[in-house]
Amino acid sequence: MSGTAVASGKVEYTDSENRNALIAVKAHLIAGLSVFLLMMLGGLTMRAAQGTWIEIGVDLFYQIMTVHGVGVVGAAVIASTGVQWHFLRKYVRLSNAIFWTNFFIFLTGVVMILGSIFLGGYGGAWTFLYPLPAISMGAWSTGAAAVFQLGVLIIGVGLLILYLDFGRAILARYGSLARALGLTMLFGKEPVDPAHPKAVVASTMVLIVNFLGIAAGAVVLVMGLINLYNPEFQPDAMLMKNLIYFFGHVIINATIYASVIAVYELLPRYTGRPWKTNKVFLAAWFAIVFMVMGVYPHHLLMDFPMPAWAMIAAQVLSFGSGIPVLVVTGYGALMLVYRSGIKWSTTTKLLFLSMFGWAAGVIPAILDAMVTINRVFHNTLWVPGHFHFYLLLGLLPMIIGFTYYLAGEGDRNEQPKATDSLGFYAYLIGAFMTSMVFLASGANSIPRRWAVHMEEWVTFAQVGTIAAALVVLGTLLFTLRAIFILPGAANPR
Amino acid sequence: MIIKIKQEWLLLTAFVVLALPPMQQFLEQSMVTHMLVQIPVLAIIGWMLGKKLPENWKSKITLWNRWGITGMVLAVIIMTYWMLPRVLDAAISEWHFELVKFVTVPIMGIALSLSWPLLNPIAQGVLKLEFWATFMRLGWLYLDLPDRLCANYLLSDQRILGQLLLLSGSAWAITWTLRIMFGIRIIKT
Ligand code: HEM
Ligand SMILES: [Cu+2]
Repeated sequence: MSGTAVASGKVEYTDSENRNALIAVKAHLIAGLSVFLLMMLGGLTMRAAQGTWIEIGVDLFYQIMTVHGVGVVGAAVIASTGVQWHFLRKYVRLSNAIFWTNFFIFLTGVVMILGSIFLGGYGGAWTFLYPLPAISMGAWSTGAAAVFQLGVLIIGVGLLILYLDFGRAILARYGSLARALGLTMLFGKEPVDPAHPKAVVASTMVLIVNFLGIAAGAVVLVMGLINLYNPEFQPDAMLMKNLIYFFGHVIINATIYASVIAVYELLPRYTGRPWKTNKVFLAAWFAIVFMVMGVYPHHLLMDFPMPAWAMIAAQVLSFGSGIPVLVVTGYGALMLVYRSGIKWSTTTKLLFLSMFGWAAGVIPAILDAMVTINRVFHNTLWVPGHFHFYLLLGLLPMIIGFTYYLAGEGDRNEQPKATDSLGFYAYLIGAFMTSMVFLASGANSIPRRWAVHMEEWVTFAQVGTIAAALVVLGTLLFTLRAIFILPGAANPR
Repeated sequence: MIIKIKQEWLLLTAFVVLALPPMQQFLEQSMVTHMLVQIPVLAIIGWMLGKKLPENWKSKITLWNRWGITGMVLAVIIMTYWMLPRVLDAAISEWHFELVKFVTVPIMGIALSLSWPLLNPIAQGVLKLEFWATFMRLGWLYLDLPDRLCANYLLSDQRILGQLLLLSGSAWAITWTLRIMFGIRIIKT
């Protein structure tokens, strides 16, 4: 037990520690948003190419698709980590040095990945699905595939270091992760503490699943590397796929659970009402630990050698996945806002949008996780449809909303400017359209990951391009705001 | 005082027993006992010896072992070296490799015992996970490789070792989970 942390009190830091921490969080946000913006330009390019408005080589398309996938996942991880760390450090003593270490390790990994894609020509998608990296038929070298996987591995090690610090700090204060997660309260071993920090509960959940995800990644990435250089070693492809999807699905899924902390922490601020922790809340977060880890086989529904029980479990869990936390959070948010006389700023608008985007985005996801529907929709654009929905309308609004809060709305009660409103509505409409066009394309059996589309599909891609341009416009306005205003903004007290 | 001397003698005896032909040949007969019994026991002997080193030795070594980094690097190098199948083979067929093994593995144990407590807890965590992952990777490799890695051992031996590595890695993961999640300690360390 550290001496500075009492019951539900906050950790004290020195002024210089706080200043440095604020700079670090801003660096994470700016890096994350800039990468998002660049990757969206990549998305726009892909859409325009599929819509025959521009012409790019097929190999370039797949390089862009690879960098888009890995880039947005990386940006989501780094930005959501910034959000999470900013709030978690209020309750447990976290190290600035470790936070920065992860940031720089991350940047190193990014450089390696960029090199492997644009210098080495790697275009085997961010999922590096075995044995594709090893059989490029000359499109990229073994070295390029290896550097890509090494880059991912290094980013994983950086995150591991950060999570070890989270774990150390949480254990120092709560003794066990079960207690931090609120299990002792949930099962009646301790009275429920309404002030038990939600940031701690959410962070513990993220910590657990990501730790296991990274462990799986550390094994599977090295096995892939061994195969690259010793082709006679041929690991079981099904096992590799399981581990890769476990790793990838957990990591990207967890970003939304890390970012939702912003909703828990900021909505009470803006509405002036406390958001109490209760047993329902704790139960939901307990359930989600298992759900996030158990749903990934919905990517493998077409793989007949998979054991039936895993598929059934995945289908059942996918049905329920997201729902507990979503309901608890959505309902809680509505109760906070209802008749609170809240002033709608860009932050609150975005945070509220995120609740909608998350809730609505889960619906197409659940549909696709049903075996009968998956039989038709598997590998169609329905899949990008569902995840763009809750990433563009659920995850990003949380991150951008938090950025606005840091950029001054939290402190000076600044009102949104015309550009902010323009950004908000361009983003909202564009993101909604982007996702809906993907979903509609999927419903029309247009396959995903095709560089060149058939004539009948081109109109979809063209509408998608226009939608993408709107998203890019909105994100550009948001990002400019972050780059110019964020660095000078004071810490909201 | 008496007890202290006794323990050091015990360690020495254990070392000699391991090195003498009956035990040495018995353990090296199979890949499993070679890698999962002989080498770990040698390392443990080194670890316990490291704890028993006189204080003034320890403090002299510490000067060169800030934060335990030098010692850990040494230990990791030795460990990686003895993970190469080729050198394990050589240790069986050539006596000077065997000699090197009997010297360096206990040294690795000593280095570990002197450095591990000095190491930053985060670095300890990273190394632990990396070590765990190595168990799983090697286990998987030994199970799936079509060929023998060691000329001196049978393929079936390699397969059994693979299974044992995966099993012990899993057991380790479970004890770790129990401790961190619920604060249950199965083994006291
Ligand atoms: C302007 C915004 C965006 C546009 C126009 C866009 C467009 C695209 C396109 C065209 C694809 C390839 C679809 C295909 O398979 O044919 C794609 C894939 C993907 N996108 Fe986006 N995207 C955008 C934003 C995002 C964001 C913000 C995220 C995540 C936070 C994201 C995550 C992904 C992922 C994970 C893939 C899968 C890549 C793969 O199949 O390997 N996208 N996107
Ligand atoms: Cu999934």
